[in-house]
Amino acid sequence: MSANTTTVAGSAATAGRTQSRSSVAFNSMANSVGNFCGGLAILFALWWLAIYVASLNPALSQFASFGPVPAFKAIGHMWHSGLIPKALGTSGYRLGAGLLIAIAIGVPIGILIGRSRRFRELSNSPFQLMRMISPLSWEPIAVIVFAGWDQAIIFLIAIASVWPVMFSTAAGLAKVDPAWFKVARNLGAKPWHVVTEIIVPAIAFDVLTGIRLALGVAWIVLVPAEFLGVTSGFGYTIEDARESLEYENLMAMLLVIGAVGYVLDTACLALIKRYSWHR
Amino acid sequence: MSNGASGGTAVAAGAGQSRTSRAAEQTARGALNFSLGIVILFALWWLGGNFIASNPQTASFAGFGLIPTLQAFPELWHLGKLQHAAAASGLRLGAGLSIAIAVGVPLGILVGRSKRFRDLSNSPFQLVRMISPLSWMPLAVLVFATWDGSIVFLIAIASVWPVIFSTAAGLAKVDPAWFKVARNLGANPVQMLTQIIMPAISFDIFTGIRLALGVAWVVLVPAELLGVTSGLGYAIKDARETLAYDQLTAMVLTIGVIGYALDTICALLIKRFSWHRGDA
Repeated sequence: MSANTTTVAGSAATAGRTQSRSSVAFNSMANSVGNFCGGLAILFALWWLAIYVASLNPALSQFASFGPVPAFKAIGHMWHSGLIPKALGTSGYRLGAGLLIAIAIGVPIGILIGRSRRFRELSNSPFQLMRMISPLSWEPIAVIVFAGWDQAIIFLIAIASVWPVMFSTAAGLAKVDPAWFKVARNLGAKPWHVVTEIIVPAIAFDVLTGIRLALGVAWIVLVPAEFLGVTSGFGYTIEDARESLEYENLMAMLLVIGAVGYVLDTACLALIKRYSWHR
Repeated sequence: MSNGASGGTAVAAGAGQSRTSRAAEQTARGALNFSLGIVILFALWWLGGNFIASNPQTASFAGFGLIPTLQAFPELWHLGKLQHAAAASGLRLGAGLSIAIAVGVPLGILVGRSKRFRDLSNSPFQLVRMISPLSWMPLAVLVFATWDGSIVFLIAIASVWPVIFSTAAGLAKVDPAWFKVARNLGANPVQMLTQIIMPAISFDIFTGIRLALGVAWVVLVPAELLGVTSGLGYAIKDARETLAYDQLTAMVLTIGVIGYALDTICALLIKRFSWHRGDA
């Protein structure tokens, strides 16, 4: 009987705690949504103010179209005229293809670096040297080697983003407890099993961290790579807006690039959190 | 008594000696691996160059090979192209990074110290951070009178984010008790900054600067492809337009070597100012 009471009291306490925890979680979420919107509101207010003050000066009055209101209107126009969806499609394809190639090459090489001391020591200097070759300086070579501009851009993105994937994978593998491999071997794991049951779950977190860094670099490389040659994508749309003096379109593209990048980065962050087992 | 002391000294000396000899061995091994790695890279490059030169269809691109590239260096040096390009790019990179550090470190300290500022600044900073730096280019060209000014701006806006976020992350790791102790001992805000905050986060600031350097290095070359007539980016464009493929690859190699050297200097500074792991 008394045990029963304790259980009931205990479960009541648990229920209370769960409720308070969920309300705490709700509060902190409401708080972060408030901060998110408040921060963006401040940014847009400062932007509006800066352009307003600048356009008060008659010599700078043509800069009024750089303000947030024309930019938001332009996003509507550009969406309906298909400019933004088309740029999203082509840039997204190039980014995705480049990142996929970087992951397909970077993860196996990273595993090799992490597992083989000999390979790590020998590959360090050439890899560091090639990593520090600014990706866009490959451009003239890429244009000669590849038949299409699209392939050249994908190559530039891939060569820029392969290094973070590679080094994160290697660093992740270095942190794995060697005892795990021994245990797996003792339990009769085949090399294939060691890869799928030990290595991949252990380094998923680090690989995703590397992919997030790679996305950041690829995002920087994408726009200048599209300035030349091609007639589609974010970079081209910006260049086009500048040449036709449509400054509201220019600012609209800046916003779209920032927003899409933010969403991609947040998605990577959520994946990293999902696969984290360190903390 | 004196025996024991001298024995202790001998042991200490022995330990010191074996430690220095181990360090020397490690350095030798590192140097050997470094050279071997570069030799392997160059050997592969040489093979690829030979392959290109031997195929009649691609023979016009033989300049991409290792030997023509290395032969282009003395010429580039005598013409002064190499030094000019490196100096012009170095000036822009240095100016941009200095601005990024001057703006990023105080902002990072603010992000790390004030919860209110951190909460509110997160979404605008993340949004602006993810605006690809080169998309500011048309705007920068309008706002700044010179191309040099806009390139410096592009480098600064690309590299300010790693500095801000590393500084803030470093500050978040600092033990709050240190601030209390300093306040109890009567430290004023300036002393707090110079005696507690700066030594504690210099490691993180240098980590941020190393990341910033990597980003700035990526941005520098495309920024110089347009408008200006000096710098490493221009030298590459110039070599391509004159079909001087040997000079093109020589400039690409130069960019890699300078970047490697700068990155290594940053890594050394990070090690020098690290107090997290060097306790033992």
